[in-house]
Amino acid sequence: MKMFPVKPRWGYLILAAAAWVLTYLAARFVLKEIQLDPWLRVTVALLPVLPTALFIWLVVAGIRSLDELERRIHLEALAFAYPLAILLLWTLGLLQLVVQLPPEDWSYRHVWVYLPLFYFFGLALAWRRYQ
Amino acid sequence: MKNSLRVLRAERNWTQADLAERLGVSRQTVNAIETEKYEPSLSLAFKIAQLVGRPIEDIFQPNEVRARGKG
Repeated sequence: MKMFPVKPRWGYLILAAAAWVLTYLAARFVLKEIQLDPWLRVTVALLPVLPTALFIWLVVAGIRSLDELERRIHLEALAFAYPLAILLLWTLGLLQLVVQLPPEDWSYRHVWVYLPLFYFFGLALAWRRYQ
Repeated sequence: MKNSLRVLRAERNWTQADLAERLGVSRQTVNAIETEKYEPSLSLAFKIAQLVGRPIEDIFQPNEVRARGKG
């Protein structure tokens, strides 16, 4: 059996991303505003993992459906973004030893947004290279 | 690596989109091969050769072979 039997469509990807964002926002709201048992809070905190897993599965399926040059472009984007993400985390880790970084700006919840940004920047660079 | 894909495609009055569709790749991929920014995999090169009905070495040549030929 093929792992990705259906060629993924943008619609599914957008739906999965929307489900991911919605469950994330809902989980944040519940964890901030509603008092629950600790085990229930952990369950709510882990709830966005399900749509995230679906989103990742669709992205991988999408990349597998691309042609060889398009796959190379994504690989080059990852090769750019991944070390840059590590560099960012290392640098923040070292800076935290020197200065107190405000957690309302530099917590995990805020830093993640740079990771897709690095990826899209790498994608633009690689795309341009083969134009 | 040099290639004569653009000439072979033009001889057949195919657009890049036509060729891309026949090969099952994107138009950008065809363009990148023609402009020699991207070297196709062996399987794609064979597919191209089969499509245009020419031996693979007629379409793709290492740089030094073409340079020698010109000299």
